[in-house]
Amino acid sequence: MSQPSSIQRRFPWHILFFLAPGLLIYVTFSVYPLLDTLWLGLFQEDETGQRFFAGISNYKTLLLDAAWSEPFWNALWNNTKFFLIHMLVQNPIGLFLAALLSSPRLRLSNTYRTLIFMPTMLSVVIIGFVWQLLLSPIWGISEGFLYSIGLGQYFDAWLGKESSALITLALISVWQFVGIPMMLIYAAMLSIPDDLIDASVVDGSSAWQTFWHVKLPLILPTIGMVSILTFVANFNAFELIYAVKGALAGPNFSTDIMGTLFYRTFFGFQLQSGSITMGAAVATLMFLIILVGVMLYLFVVQRRMKRFQL
Amino acid sequence: MADVKLSNIKKSYGDTPVLHGIDLDIKHGEFVVLVGASGCGKSTLLRLIAGLEDISSGELHIGDQQVNALAPAQRGIAMVFQSYALYPHMTVFKNMSYGLKIAGKGKDFIDAKVREAARILHIDHLLERLPRELSGGQRQRVAIGRAIVRDPNVFLFDEPLSNLDAALRVKTRVEIGKLHKELGATIIYVTHDQVEAMTLGDKIVVMNQGRVEQCGSPLELYQHPATRFVGGFIGSPKMNFIDGKVAALGGDHIEIQLSNGCRSRACVEAGDLKVGDPVTLGVRPEHIDERSDAGTMLSGDVTLVERLGEASFIYLTLSDGTEIVVRGSGESTVTTSEHIKVSFAPHNAHVFDSNDRALRRLKAGNVHSTAELAQLKAVGQEAF
Repeated sequence: MSQPSSIQRRFPWHILFFLAPGLLIYVTFSVYPLLDTLWLGLFQEDETGQRFFAGISNYKTLLLDAAWSEPFWNALWNNTKFFLIHMLVQNPIGLFLAALLSSPRLRLSNTYRTLIFMPTMLSVVIIGFVWQLLLSPIWGISEGFLYSIGLGQYFDAWLGKESSALITLALISVWQFVGIPMMLIYAAMLSIPDDLIDASVVDGSSAWQTFWHVKLPLILPTIGMVSILTFVANFNAFELIYAVKGALAGPNFSTDIMGTLFYRTFFGFQLQSGSITMGAAVATLMFLIILVGVMLYLFVVQRRMKRFQL
Repeated sequence: MADVKLSNIKKSYGDTPVLHGIDLDIKHGEFVVLVGASGCGKSTLLRLIAGLEDISSGELHIGDQQVNALAPAQRGIAMVFQSYALYPHMTVFKNMSYGLKIAGKGKDFIDAKVREAARILHIDHLLERLPRELSGGQRQRVAIGRAIVRDPNVFLFDEPLSNLDAALRVKTRVEIGKLHKELGATIIYVTHDQVEAMTLGDKIVVMNQGRVEQCGSPLELYQHPATRFVGGFIGSPKMNFIDGKVAALGGDHIEIQLSNGCRSRACVEAGDLKVGDPVTLGVRPEHIDERSDAGTMLSGDVTLVERLGEASFIYLTLSDGTEIVVRGSGESTVTTSEHIKVSFAPHNAHVFDSNDRALRRLKAGNVHSTAELAQLKAVGQEAF
């Protein structure tokens, strides 16, 4: 027998009440600006500054009109290279440093950890300025340093050449941020029980085999997380290029990435006048690129990766 | 197959010594249990034998080879860890075959070995599972299986049962005992549990503060503890200790004036004791009789009675404040705050000198005939 409920179930206002502060802040500062940007990308402005709805014509211009699409594809390709250099240099070095730090035989490991992490805490502008000075062919110390160790003939104005500027900037960024993957992976390695390593040693594996067969599979989820953080940070990067090369991302746009392209489009720079709506379209594309990357990671990579109970 | 020989093994971490010269001879096929309170160095000793830590000084031989400098895998040992230490990302099969794979053995060989070990341990049906899908007991078997497949000369067990629940612990204990018979290998087993030590070991090594207190068969340790520490460590509830002074020396016994005023006989060799020397009398709870006519009589107030069904543990406070435990019968009618008299026979007494070393017992463990018993009882009653 079911009893008819004498008391009407009241709407759970208290839940709404407790959710409200966080929800309000999130909606105001995250959801609304994002939606507004997406919306704004669908408009254009005439000479008088009057906005009118233009559908996807901004995106057509951006992707198909040579004057716009060349810089766009250039920036996207540069950004991809920037990301690949981080993935191939920063994260393996971070992993290597973490492996060294977690070795019980290493003395002063706390000192190394702090020193390697230090550049991460400095402002990107300072890092950019310092490296610009270091690498300058006029006052920089790099040339003299290379000569003193007999490698002087390899010195070049790396930051000034189209062929090497982007790689140099990427390596500067790697130098600054290598502490982050190192710390994350180091923490993951510390959580591997000592017994497991001992068992592997008793089983006869060398330090390298232990690393490859036991430690690496167990920190793989962390490496995945580091990769996705690198991806998001790299496709949102802007400051270092701006600090070292300015908004024109020279020489000849060879260091132009999505962030600097967006900056010029939105705010305008020198001869180029800024366009809020076109800028919104670039920002939307950046958002979509990152969204697709993160989705691919979440649904393709992370699903296959299992976290193991240690 | 191999004997294990430890000669004056020392270990220190920095300036802190943790093992002070351990000598131990382990014959091939022996089941040796290292037992002691936590922090006594038993696990460290096992890790030294395994090669997981460097020996500070002394020599370690396995077989006829000095192995101080050899890597664990070259020593012909296999180890079972307290936490099992199974590789969480590998299936049971891969966990068990990892060592063989590293050693570069052929696929067929590995397959045969692993299946053989799995059959012995009854885990054949689990080979494709991951460790997290196994119960504690099953993980334990896999850990043992991982050791078996490597055909080691010596198995090292580091408190392998302490993560199991009580029922499973007893079951696995029995199985490890059977496994030892089946494999015929040398086993060195670390535990803090004296029941495990007594039931499993051919030889028990009692350790205390980085030293071997005594080494012998389970019954030897129970009947002839060499020191007060061993006397207290082996046996449950632990041995009762009552302070006293030597009152008189006889041919086959000594008489002791106990701190509570009683006088007791103990069938021990006097050695170089003199009348008046301070000694400690030790007597196990199970050797104290609820009746008052077994020999030395003690009287005290009952502070607590624990009833286990098959026995009752009666906690007594003697007149001088010494607390003792008596293992009474399960049907004992004694109640708390009662004043009772209990007694023990002189051949059940242990005597420790002022350095806590035991005096050799003369009649322990070899009392067989009832006539002999009656005679001993008579000796005991003479004292009063």
